Amino acid sequence: MAEKQGEVTRRGFGKSLAAGAAVAAPASVASAQIATPGAGQYGPVVVGNYRPVDQIKMGGIGIRSRGMDSHARQEMKRIVSPDRTFREDAREMVKSTVDGYYKDNECKMYRDAAEILANPEIDALLIATSDRWHGLMAMWAAQSGKDIYIEKPGAMFIAESYSMAENVERYGIVYQSGAQRKNQYAFEFAVGLARSGKLGRLTAVHADTAIGLGTVDAGGHSWWPEDQPEPDPLVFDWDKWLGPCLWRPYNSQYKDRGRGQFWDFHAGLLEWASHTVAMAQWAADMEHTQPVEYIPEGANFRGDGLIERYTIRCRYANGIQLILRNHSWRLLGSCSNLFEGTEGWVEVGDSGRIEVSDNLKSLVPKKQGRAYDPTAEHLREFVSCIRSRTPPRANARVTCNTHVASHAAWIAAQLNRRLEWDPEKRMFVNDEEANRMRSRAYREPWRGEALATSM
Amino acid sequence: MAQQSTGNTQASPEAAAPKPAPPKPNPLPAIPPELDALPIWKLGAPALVAMLKDPKSTVFQKAIACKKLSIVGGKDAIAPMAALLSDPKLSCYARFGMEPNPDPSVDDAFRAALPKLTGKLQIGVINSIGFRRDAKAVDALAKLIDNSDPEIGRAAAASLGMIGGEQATRALQTALGRPQSPVFPVAARAMLLCAEGAIATDRARGLQLYQELSATTMPKPVRLTALRVLNGAGPAPEYTNRWPAPTGEAARQDKSGFLGRNP
Repeated sequence: MAEKQGEVTRRGFGKSLAAGAAVAAPASVASAQIATPGAGQYGPVVVGNYRPVDQIKMGGIGIRSRGMDSHARQEMKRIVSPDRTFREDAREMVKSTVDGYYKDNECKMYRDAAEILANPEIDALLIATSDRWHGLMAMWAAQSGKDIYIEKPGAMFIAESYSMAENVERYGIVYQSGAQRKNQYAFEFAVGLARSGKLGRLTAVHADTAIGLGTVDAGGHSWWPEDQPEPDPLVFDWDKWLGPCLWRPYNSQYKDRGRGQFWDFHAGLLEWASHTVAMAQWAADMEHTQPVEYIPEGANFRGDGLIERYTIRCRYANGIQLILRNHSWRLLGSCSNLFEGTEGWVEVGDSGRIEVSDNLKSLVPKKQGRAYDPTAEHLREFVSCIRSRTPPRANARVTCNTHVASHAAWIAAQLNRRLEWDPEKRMFVNDEEANRMRSRAYREPWRGEALATSM
Repeated sequence: MAQQSTGNTQASPEAAAPKPAPPKPNPLPAIPPELDALPIWKLGAPALVAMLKDPKSTVFQKAIACKKLSIVGGKDAIAPMAALLSDPKLSCYARFGMEPNPDPSVDDAFRAALPKLTGKLQIGVINSIGFRRDAKAVDALAKLIDNSDPEIGRAAAASLGMIGGEQATRALQTALGRPQSPVFPVAARAMLLCAEGAIATDRARGLQLYQELSATTMPKPVRLTALRVLNGAGPAPEYTNRWPAPTGEAARQDKSGFLGRNP
């Protein structure tokens, strides 16, 4: 156990409790275990008589651009094992950044996520891989007993969404998805108006789902760029890059142009819906469920059910509408949300600006804008929940319901027809084709160990 | 950056909304016609099945046909897809097409393919059997737990957990009798699923399984899960006061007060 005196990891804390309880042992042994001169006593941080020594050891999987912005610098005492599946230069950059921040050389690097998952010294993981890995990584982390902060989207399909949440709940870990707007003031304010009755009876919550469908449409339904020789796996591991997705021959376009062109690697609406549908469900107090009806309205169908510009009108069982669209309305920035009620409306976006109906203007703070980093706030909440063992705002169940709603809307758009959804049975009503689209088989050898039990 | 509200006074959010900027279209990459999925995607199930059977069809055509058949394929699509299960490139597409098909002959096809495959392709079929919760495959999976390839053993254990039921539980209990086995951690997680299933129908049996999973030999996450369930289910074990208060030197060394006592 690489544990410094005076610093107790979450697991080390458990061992310290055991030592404290075993004081019937010979005094010399007991004193060696309990007394730590000059460093205070080991004990639970909640007592308050002790140093705040509850050090959380974080590891990272898939850390580069997204994982390294502000995530790596927030309250973590050590990032031990960033992992990449490809690109030596990225691995070197990560190690250099982390070691530079902590002014040491202790950042360890691994090639395989399995190694970091098996490391008992890691308490929590920051997972910022590409989308196709998120669901499986979350399940594996839960099965390893590690808390997770994971970038969105959290799952690629409906069955994976349920399985992710159930694994998290089964193993009792803390899960925070990267829906950072849950900790951004403008969005919190808008949700507060909706939930406090200031809008009257809520009638509709709107979510800007941006370019999701259109991006995929640009490439069609999984066309294949021409076959190219695979690079050295130490430089770019194509098999790992594909992960659980269907096999296809290598082409450099995938890493150069990004995953968004291809249905296989894309979670559809969840590009932005991970944020905006999450906020809409929060505002409507519908985080525990999903809409029961989905009606796609759009144009420019390419012929395979993918559309460039769309509105998907969804309805909860209580009648409130959830309206998804990839075109914004008041230009308040990306990830906009609009909440409408019988007595007013509020709209917010990534600009940090807040627009409301005239009758609510006195409630809006004079200073608006992004005065702080919401990612940092979101991560701080995660760290706080690791200590308190309570679910954060973007916990696994909330994320699951956001994702199921978004995937269901995406399926309705692909099939281009109205769908009914039964949240209890986790099935579409009388639509076999839609029900078949609730899952995607993982490429061998990858598996979701509890996937089947979730549906 | 602080910004002032624009003072927008519109009464209806839709009425006076400024006209949104048109979305910027992504530059459409050049799609080689022979690698464009769209013409295949538009075909009906009979044409897709014919494409799978046609020896002149390319890997790409068969791959996209399987993807579309995952949504529209009937019973007649199963055999042509099952024929691809031994193809290293197309096996995943065949499973993709077969897994969601509700026809029970899919299970027959997976079971029939199981002994004919090895390595990753066999693992894929094991995983599909687990996903479909095919109880008729329990015997075959139980035999694979002890396969010389531990990855196959792990996959078999995981699928047994998803299938659940008493027969699968007994197979996993046998595997859990060997803590040094590389399959042990997966078998323990699989047994958790069996316990969850059992407790819904036979509470006593379910709690018995959780009791087994709370042993100190179990992987820590599994043990903690089992203990949490047992604590929630009650009653707690009899209080035995097995941890007496410290005395003598040990008590004097304890300056923390955490133990709630002084010598």
